[in-house]
Amino acid sequence: MAERPREIIKRNLFSDNQVLRQILGICSSLAVTNTMRNSLVMGIGLSFVTALSSLTLSAMRNIIPHRVRMLVQTLVIAAYVIFLDLLLKAYLPDISKQLGPYVGLIITNCIIMGRAEAYAQQNKPVASMLDGLFAGLGYTLVLMIISLIREVMGFGTLFGINVNVLNLQTWTIMIMPPAAFFIIGGLIWGLSARALRRAGKEKEA
Amino acid sequence: MKRGYLYTVLFMVILSAVFTFALAASYEGFKPAINLNAALQQERAVLDAFGLDQGLSNEEASQKYDEVIREGEIAGLTVPVYEEDGQVMGYALPIEGAGLWGTIRGYLGINARLDEATGLVFTEQNETPGLGGRIDEPQFKEQFRGLPIAQGDAIRYGQNQGVQLDAVTGATQTSSAILRILNSALDDFFAGEGN
Repeated sequence: MAERPREIIKRNLFSDNQVLRQILGICSSLAVTNTMRNSLVMGIGLSFVTALSSLTLSAMRNIIPHRVRMLVQTLVIAAYVIFLDLLLKAYLPDISKQLGPYVGLIITNCIIMGRAEAYAQQNKPVASMLDGLFAGLGYTLVLMIISLIREVMGFGTLFGINVNVLNLQTWTIMIMPPAAFFIIGGLIWGLSARALRRAGKEKEA
Repeated sequence: MKRGYLYTVLFMVILSAVFTFALAASYEGFKPAINLNAALQQERAVLDAFGLDQGLSNEEASQKYDEVIREGEIAGLTVPVYEEDGQVMGYALPIEGAGLWGTIRGYLGINARLDEATGLVFTEQNETPGLGGRIDEPQFKEQFRGLPIAQGDAIRYGQNQGVQLDAVTGATQTSSAILRILNSALDDFFAGEGN
């Protein structure tokens, strides 16, 4: 039975979040989350590519030969990433300069291929697009939470604006990738513990 | 459904052709805008190296560039020269070298007496976003405005003839690469200038 849009959104944002529940896209979650602006731009770029590639791959799902499906997925994803790069360079040069190396990194994000394999292969185009979009937004949400902690504690800024009014000592470790390990670990722990508690309660009832 | 090899091969060939064509077409469509942005970025970078790009709009920057910048020669190099009322105010020395991940390109503005930097700008860098990438933020770049330079005296982090220069925290490799690039460019420049 087809999932309702509301379920797709809720699943991707919370109960089956790509980063915290599927443990996908960890590499970029560690690398780009030391400032909020970087996280936001990366998240939006990824959502755009995931939505469009899921839509395209789902529309073609009945004519793609099974044994080359991964080649096709890579081709489609790479094409959209290059297109996004050109679009940004032409119309949003400032953001393009900021993003520079990230745009290429989007291709290697396992969330995109994960959604193509796990969802777009079996589902209708519009549902797949929604699934891809919200998988990306779920990723963005987690990145924003991590970078909120890291930017405030590491730089004393928020979106580049100084919020360290008390002039406290900033933590250099928060700028470094290891800090993201601890924060992601903590978030995964918290979410898993909650899911376990819920499962336990359901059993009792 | 099981399909033959021929179908698979044909499918890939056609699909690749379609996507390649679509991308090539969109590149052609975007090219004028991209080239315009690239040229403008270059002009703004040169202006910024002289500290002239203070809150200018794109049109104002382009106009200002045409007004005060011309191509000139110094130390055997053709570089953008900043002139006001026929008087040379400074030179934009192109810098280029390997960073931690990719090539770093940009300009180091130098005053007419060749004893002070007027500013450092980057036109291309692929350093780690949030770490080495912070070389492109004002906090790091602004330190180079008014930094004393001299022949045979390398720029270093710490004191430069009484002026403090700080590296980027957490980006030792990139910070060192910047000094290496700047000092090698300055060495070549002064060597050429001496002849």
